[in-house]
Amino acid sequence: MSAPDDIPPTPLPAPLDAEGGRLQGVAEAATVPSGTGPSVALMASSVMIDARVGGHVAAHHPLGTSTGHLVELRGQWDLLVRRALDVSTLAVELAALSEPEFLSLSAWLQTAERELPFRFLSVHAPTKDRELPEDELVARLCALPPAVDAVVVHPDVIEDPAAYAPLGRTLVIENMDGRKATGRTAEELRPFFDALPEAGFCLDVPHVGSVDPTLAIAHELLDAYGERLRHLHLSSVDEGCHHVPLTPQDEELFAPVLSRCRDVPWILEADLPAR
Amino acid sequence: MTDTPQGALERLAEHGHRGFPHLLAAREKTQWDLESMRHRLRDIPRDVDASIVLMGSWGRRERTPGSDDDFLVLVGGEPRGDAEPAVHRLDGVLGSGEAKPGTQGIFGQQIFVGPLVDHIGLEEDGNANLTQRMLLVLESVPVVGREAYRRALEQVVDGYVQDHAKDYRPPRFLLNDLVRYWRTICVDFAGKARAEEQKWGMRNAKLRLNRKLLFAGGLIPVLDCHRLRREQQRDWLLDALQAPPTDRLAHAFLTYEAIDEGVRALGAYDRWIGLLGDGEVRAHLTGLTRAQAGDDRVFNDVRRLAKEFEQGLGALLFETPLSVVAREFVVF
Repeated sequence: MSAPDDIPPTPLPAPLDAEGGRLQGVAEAATVPSGTGPSVALMASSVMIDARVGGHVAAHHPLGTSTGHLVELRGQWDLLVRRALDVSTLAVELAALSEPEFLSLSAWLQTAERELPFRFLSVHAPTKDRELPEDELVARLCALPPAVDAVVVHPDVIEDPAAYAPLGRTLVIENMDGRKATGRTAEELRPFFDALPEAGFCLDVPHVGSVDPTLAIAHELLDAYGERLRHLHLSSVDEGCHHVPLTPQDEELFAPVLSRCRDVPWILEADLPAR
Repeated sequence: MTDTPQGALERLAEHGHRGFPHLLAAREKTQWDLESMRHRLRDIPRDVDASIVLMGSWGRRERTPGSDDDFLVLVGGEPRGDAEPAVHRLDGVLGSGEAKPGTQGIFGQQIFVGPLVDHIGLEEDGNANLTQRMLLVLESVPVVGREAYRRALEQVVDGYVQDHAKDYRPPRFLLNDLVRYWRTICVDFAGKARAEEQKWGMRNAKLRLNRKLLFAGGLIPVLDCHRLRREQQRDWLLDALQAPPTDRLAHAFLTYEAIDEGVRALGAYDRWIGLLGDGEVRAHLTGLTRAQAGDDRVFNDVRRLAKEFEQGLGALLFETPLSVVAREFVVF
């Protein structure tokens, strides 16, 4: 962005840290170059300068929750959706992590889909207690109501990538955490995306952190598959890679990655901590 | 990075692996068809202040098989009876067969610059006048009479900017008319849907994508005027408005460093242009009623593309430094 010649460069304010103090070393790039017409913007991303209460994650639009962390309500879809609506009426991920859960969700959605207000509706496909043959599972995923915008699949449970092709652009493949043997990096995900050119990508940010605390892999994933990005999973993880509420440290660490994903829904995989 | 939107789509495409193959192919087709049209119309009798102007997919440089010819004969000054070219002279060249323009009384006629400029707002600015003026500003390209076209565009922009622009402020008069036009399109869509079930699927898809591109492609350059002194705004707007809307948006995504978001948003739009070029998809959507659309796989694919496109525009408007301007000026 430029300003006319007679306007001195205007530094943008540094972002506030968790205590309300200014973060150092962030706003230096935020000066306005001279020029008579619109030109290159040299400024911090809005994610970096957002100082609204609750931090930039709480301010993101659209933000929604996964029902996966609401363990006490597992399988009670009416109640899970009601809890999800408390976070957002715009975006949600209905997590059916086991096959029996998926079957109950599938049946519930057939009757409930018209009543769901969400503008982004994702379903997390089962990752455990799998008994259905893969092609039958895919057929059932394909039969989900058209209101479902994304079906998230873990690559480590995919036996034959080509079997998932009927899902088209609804299929979204998620990067895996450090406990898994595959699907963690751009290179490990390549066979899946090569076999499924229409498939989208779900970036699980803390999963990357469990593989690479510097998050360089997150940028590699976005460089490789950013065009396919449909949504984001967001939380912190504990030492056992379980999703836990996002810490202020992670929120700051994740900011450069999140600033490349400002358009897609961010799905919380744990409660947002109270501020 | 340059200061003009011209060519920005190709610059943004360099940041992705897939690029925008359908959009760039549609541009090439548009340019080819435009040259062909110019050749066919070069000897037609024409007043010095007249131009033949194409709008719609021509103006957006998005022609695909099945696109129609939304054209106007644009003549300088006040209405007169003997202006050339008369519309009948274009028979067989423009708007024939499947390329027949829309039937809303907007296209396929002579219009005069005077009323376009003098009747902005109030009773005489009817739906046709508003639409013709806005489409001239937002998505038009001259076939013949380039200089007359340029003068007309300058007069219209001056009509909005000359007495109303302020330093470092988006020109509110133009902004308000632009917003009014977008909301008019949306309201008219509902009105048409009530009156006629047919074509609901295609109309809805175009509202979500092509019309939204049209609106955002005008909104962003207007908001961008907040960076300029008033005397710079006119030249900026004239330059920006002669670039295709996809260039204007690509330029903004680059300028405001929302490159990943821009690649995704225009990537989704590119896929839509690919679908529009598929005769079966076009026919399917055209035949789709509102009642059928909810369960229709093709329509839902288009709906998701539209959502991705809108999310990118939302990020540009509300999650970059442009958000300050959007918040200050867009709603009130």
